[in-house]
Amino acid sequence: MNRKIMSAVGVAAAASLALTGCGGETAPEAAEGPVNITLAGWDFASTPEFQTLADAYTEANPDVTIELKEYPAGEDYDTALTADLAAGTAPDVFIVKNLKNYVTFQEGGTLLDISDVAAELDPATGGLEPMAVDGKTYAVPYRQDTWLLYYNKALFEKAGVDLPDGSWTWDDYADAAETLTKDIGEKQVTGTYLHSWQSTVQGFALAQTEGASLDGGDFSYLAPFYERELAMQDNGSQPSYATVTTNELTYQAQFGTQKAAMLPMGSWYIGTLVAEQASGAADTFEWGIAPIPQLDESTTGTENTPVSFGDPTTMGINAGIDESKIDAAKDFLKFAAGPEGAAALAEIGITPALIDDAVADAIFGLEGVPQDDLSRFSYTTHETLPENPVGQNTAAIQTILGETHSAIMSESTPVDEAITEAEERVANEVG
Amino acid sequence: MTTPVVGDQRTLGFSRPELPPPLRNPRASLKLRNALVGWTFILPNFLGFAVLTLVPVFTLFYLSLTSWNIFGTAEWVGLDNFTRLLGDKSFHIALGNTFYYAALHIPITIVVSLSLALLLNQKLRGAAFFRTVAFFPYITSIVAVAVVWNMLFSPEFGPINQFLGLFVDGDLPGWTVSKDWAMPAVIIVGTWKDMGYYMLLFLAGLQTVPGELHEAARIDGANAWQRFWNVTLPCLRPTMFFVTVMVTIQSFKVFDLILVMTDGGPGQATLVLSQYIYQKGFEQFEFGYASAVAVVLFLICILVTVVQFLYNKRKEA
Repeated sequence: MNRKIMSAVGVAAAASLALTGCGGETAPEAAEGPVNITLAGWDFASTPEFQTLADAYTEANPDVTIELKEYPAGEDYDTALTADLAAGTAPDVFIVKNLKNYVTFQEGGTLLDISDVAAELDPATGGLEPMAVDGKTYAVPYRQDTWLLYYNKALFEKAGVDLPDGSWTWDDYADAAETLTKDIGEKQVTGTYLHSWQSTVQGFALAQTEGASLDGGDFSYLAPFYERELAMQDNGSQPSYATVTTNELTYQAQFGTQKAAMLPMGSWYIGTLVAEQASGAADTFEWGIAPIPQLDESTTGTENTPVSFGDPTTMGINAGIDESKIDAAKDFLKFAAGPEGAAALAEIGITPALIDDAVADAIFGLEGVPQDDLSRFSYTTHETLPENPVGQNTAAIQTILGETHSAIMSESTPVDEAITEAEERVANEVG
Repeated sequence: MTTPVVGDQRTLGFSRPELPPPLRNPRASLKLRNALVGWTFILPNFLGFAVLTLVPVFTLFYLSLTSWNIFGTAEWVGLDNFTRLLGDKSFHIALGNTFYYAALHIPITIVVSLSLALLLNQKLRGAAFFRTVAFFPYITSIVAVAVVWNMLFSPEFGPINQFLGLFVDGDLPGWTVSKDWAMPAVIIVGTWKDMGYYMLLFLAGLQTVPGELHEAARIDGANAWQRFWNVTLPCLRPTMFFVTVMVTIQSFKVFDLILVMTDGGPGQATLVLSQYIYQKGFEQFEFGYASAVAVVLFLICILVTVVQFLYNKRKEA
């Protein structure tokens, strides 16, 4: 593999050297006639949002065509896009898929300063504020998922447990999970399901703990969250981390085929669950959405705003774009991150960054989405903080914390020891 | 190689021109032409090798002396990356884990594949079938292998621990989710996957062992073990050398299997150098530093191979 890496690095190096040699300056010219803007996205077959935004925009602006460029999905998106950006062949507009790489793109000079676009957006746009780097914005959010608690009404009724009412702290959630597991009384069914990602513990701990910060060097805020999760896997309220990882369990199958009565998961799962219930991939059962449980009672209840986490998905303009296209590209970004883009996304079940009543109506107008008040409250009312706060060291710290997560959840290393080790490593290896 | 006949002009209807002055050294000219013809044959392959391997490797050495986040130009930092390696605990862990993997994977793979080859070299019924079976893991997708073995190793529900539970009371290994057992689990799967390929190489080698040597040894009263030790093994030395070099390099650059099985975890229990290079380069965009780690891995592979070459040469002499 190291040879492959060497090749990739070498090719990228050669390409960037070639480009620095022959990049010429062109005089800015206003675009005349139709403008064609290229947009980088991934996996178009199962990710319709790019086409949806492009279609909606060209309908309103027939002078501009948006041409999609497909990149690989998953982690490979960043790798492939990075290579193209370094080589100067990347599309005009691209999605910053992983927030933790935003600063790398920005510092690398690949993103155009679009503070003027950001200034014109609704300040309520989810995830907009954290995108500022030294007062300037280089990418704007068009999607902002948030983490919610999904629950299976039928399984709650079977166990005789009261449905979530928005007042839950994590301790209430743990109690409910334990009772559900016991009272449902089926071997394969657990009270809840926690997926193996580090964000399922660390995202909440970072967002909900007063004063917690990713780059502050102190990770003690993670401890109570891990202690709770370990207790829950030990008493059987959720499949253990070992079972989840070695058996490649998926959250869609666990919740969708009623093997778990609850599931903390991102709002993207609403669309997935509706589609899977319609296609038969998931069982047909009644479900609901509740706010994610809170650390303490200061943020519980429908009179308060629950705190959750979620990274915005953002769009930026390639700094190497032809100057004649800049205005059109900025206009497209304004559209995508604004109310019109939001409405178009909501119609296909995707949670936009700007959630207004029209968006909520569209999402809750989809067939199969729960209609109760709490579900709508949970979807529309939340303070969502980023899992990967914008910062120079975010990617490196998250790698270390990812290793901490597997060490703790596999019960290989005691919580305090693992956290101390992470703190030492961040102090020694990062920055 | 025969020298191509250059057009006989008489057959083409030309009048015979004056003879060219005789070459001063016709042998040298022939040699040069033959060399050129030979080079032409290997050129396509060599070009690919040069562009896709040689140039990147040289670039790697340069990059290891720079700080570069892939965008813009690399900044020359001299030996800073290498000094940083000295104090980098994660690098030390990855280095240690790589040696741990290699130290077990190399001998076990050689022993297992040689044993398999010896067994399947017998005139058994269905030997061809079993050879195919043993080779199968090698051509199976690494992701499929990792997923299936992860399930087999599942501490609670996996068949391996259920089987072990029949004989062992008390704590069973946690395999891929245990800090102590993850590496052995990965080594078992690595060996299982690779043994078929090296078995095939050994099988080919075994065909070159002269039958009369075995016969002579038998007449002299050597038992099976003595015949293996004194006849088979010495005759297999070229194959053994090749296999050892290949399996060593393969062990030091193990990556995909670990990435899919454990992703380096739990914690850093199975983090190896290749994955560390990947993390630093492609996850954290520190291409200069990642290149420095790659240079270290490269030097380790070279060093071990050279030692093996020298050892083999001494044995040959």
